[in-house]
Amino acid sequence: MKTGEGEMSLKGDVSFLHAASHELKAPLALVRQLALGLEDETIPAKERERIAQQIVLVSERALRLTTDITKTARLEDSFFGLEPCNPHQICEEVAHELTPLYAARGREIRVGRRQGSLLAVANRELLRRVLLNFADNALHYADDDAPVELRAQSRNHGDRVRIGVRDYGPMVPASIWKELESRLGTQPQIVHARPQSSGLGLYLAGQFAAAMNGTIGAVRHRDGATFYVDVTASMQMSLL
Amino acid sequence: MSQLSILIVEDDEWLGEQYARTLKVLKCNTLMARNALEAMDILNEHTPDCILLDIFLAGPNGIVLLHELRSHEDLAKIPIIICSTSADTLTLDTLRPYGVRALLDKTTMEPDDVVAAVRKAVL
Repeated sequence: MKTGEGEMSLKGDVSFLHAASHELKAPLALVRQLALGLEDETIPAKERERIAQQIVLVSERALRLTTDITKTARLEDSFFGLEPCNPHQICEEVAHELTPLYAARGREIRVGRRQGSLLAVANRELLRRVLLNFADNALHYADDDAPVELRAQSRNHGDRVRIGVRDYGPMVPASIWKELESRLGTQPQIVHARPQSSGLGLYLAGQFAAAMNGTIGAVRHRDGATFYVDVTASMQMSLL
Repeated sequence: MSQLSILIVEDDEWLGEQYARTLKVLKCNTLMARNALEAMDILNEHTPDCILLDIFLAGPNGIVLLHELRSHEDLAKIPIIICSTSADTLTLDTLRPYGVRALLDKTTMEPDDVVAAVRKAVL
């Protein structure tokens, strides 16, 4: 390895570690504050139960992130084979997994109608992780009263499958959108305009998508945004 | 003396609720905003005795709100307490001109620290 490449890689590692530690700080600090709050003996039992549930849900969110980071480190070892997967079913699984977190935050997550999507050539676990990441992100930016929707659809005359997470909320300002677009799949950095976000989630999702020969992207709508992953559609299957 | 009013600007509503629970000992009225724009909307209607402010917020961040507050003669006088996960990258000296009275690190602070900071700022 040339010295320049080594330095760049080291800088990338430091930036990644910085982003990862920043991203984990928020849920850990919240868990700590909630746990300290439980020491107050005047809190009614019902409220205490609610705080305990919040601690569980926030811990699970932090754990998802640490699992994603571990999986990124193992991507190069080819642990993740590709196979035909039903994207609609994976959307259902992701919605099911995140429903308790969404409900606790007073929000709704649902799966949109099937739109002629084919099976996708993907790794089930990685695809699930990408969608969990997008849906977790949407939770923070969606309007309180608008559901977040997962949807799979075929693209490019059936060559590709797009699985997207659509949130409804205020239009993302152009300046923030430009910055966001520039970092889809690139090295994470601290983005001060977006809370709890160093772009690490998008970076990880981009890495997972690339391991499935896919790409991630985002569409800005007048009333929110869609973050999506495009993967190859399964075109040539044989009966066993 | 009339009831204390505290504006909590925190994008995580669970943490915002936690602050509000903690501040109950001051028998104060708490107002909640999840971002700087919501905070400004509230400030158009109410003048709180103190603002508890997070830095990383959706859209305009906490620093933008500090600048905004300083530009209004009446709002510039409201004492502000910063609660941030990145408190270690900020210094109280640079924030004081913006009316910041205390800088709390979310990762190390105790619930009583919030109460003590508010008490010191307004009482």
